[in-house]
Amino acid sequence: MTVFVAILVFLVILALLWLLFGSPTNETGSSLDALQIERLLPINCRHFPQITQMLKEEDRQFMRMRAPHHTERKWRAERRRILKQYLTGLAQDFARVQRLARLVSALSPEIRKGQELEWIWLGLQFHVSYRMVELKFALGRLSPDGLAELTGIIAGLADELEHRMSLITEYSPSHLRANMGN
Amino acid sequence: MNSNLFSNLGWMGAFLLEVGTFLLALRRGLFRRLPFFTLYLGLVVIDEITLWLVYRLSGVSSYISFESYWVMQALLILFRALAVYDICRVLLSAYAGVWKMCRPLLILLAAILVVGAAISTNDSAHHVASAILTSERGLELTVVGILIFGLIFCRYYHVEIDRYVTWIALGLGFYSAVQVVSNTLFQHSVTGHFAVWQDFRHVSFNVATVFWIVALWKQLPARQAAPVLLAPGEYERLAPQMTLRLRELNTRLLEMWK
Repeated sequence: MTVFVAILVFLVILALLWLLFGSPTNETGSSLDALQIERLLPINCRHFPQITQMLKEEDRQFMRMRAPHHTERKWRAERRRILKQYLTGLAQDFARVQRLARLVSALSPEIRKGQELEWIWLGLQFHVSYRMVELKFALGRLSPDGLAELTGIIAGLADELEHRMSLITEYSPSHLRANMGN
Repeated sequence: MNSNLFSNLGWMGAFLLEVGTFLLALRRGLFRRLPFFTLYLGLVVIDEITLWLVYRLSGVSSYISFESYWVMQALLILFRALAVYDICRVLLSAYAGVWKMCRPLLILLAAILVVGAAISTNDSAHHVASAILTSERGLELTVVGILIFGLIFCRYYHVEIDRYVTWIALGLGFYSAVQVVSNTLFQHSVTGHFAVWQDFRHVSFNVATVFWIVALWKQLPARQAAPVLLAPGEYERLAPQMTLRLRELNTRLLEMWK
């Protein structure tokens, strides 16, 4: 019992230190001024259509049939590297959307508990699924077509948020100050 | 020099540290920001003076000394809990929606932990010292629990924490956490190891006091203006869109994995 409590308290103190001094989460802070769209909206997904094009299945068949073996191997390695970056970019974009959702919650005078819990749950789900997809990728069993679909979803969300946020930031203090200065 | 002189010097040093911290808090105008924490620091000084008088008048091992000590401890724990609530309020109350959601949860958590403490105290009620230490451990756990829960909210919603609040929170959390360990260690043997248990307590409190001095050493930052909140309908307009997309994203991600 004593050892258990001692370990628990040690973990509690570590948690305290992490919560108080851990990597700063306030790069943007939680204020209307922090709603800088370009820093919070998904950005990687904007380049995804070009990358998807590069990863087409026809290209793979073409390379297999026409290119020399060592060139094809190099091309495959490069393709994997791009796919990996693509996946990382997807996670970064998801994190940005999540960050934006939390900022909107923090700045709303009324929020719903159920809604917040659902976002926490969706975030957890995403992280678990993402790790699984990463594993599949590491095993070489991931098709680029699936990733392209995900890209579409994030890009759609980015467009909606960009529109909504541009309306909101018109009323931000810095924006109003800038307008008054003109 | 005998050990008595050393312990008197130690006690005097700690007392001066506590008085210094309280005066520093008053000088920095902490009362306007964290009233319960400032009152707590004042109560610590009063506690030392009261106990010193009681011990001198009625002896250390008298029943009055025993009662006075534990009554003061109960008061101090109460004020520590209020100080932690104060910290959560200062950090989160500017964010109306988050605070409205967080406050009942904090109160519920505190209620659950206090009930837990009461149940475990009841289990060890056959022995007075053990029962007191168990109940105190439960209450200290409540203090740490509220603090950690409040800080999780701050991190989740990216709420900035001022430097002075960080060090004050660390001092409160550290002291309560050490008490939980020490009360567990000495739960059944406190009467035999009373001096060691007391030393544990004093040293950890002195460490916490140093954290509070660090917090108050520099001028407190100017109060930040309350954040401008969004119009009431924005959340309701944005939330369903984001939820739908996030759900869709997760479904697709799961499909890819299968």
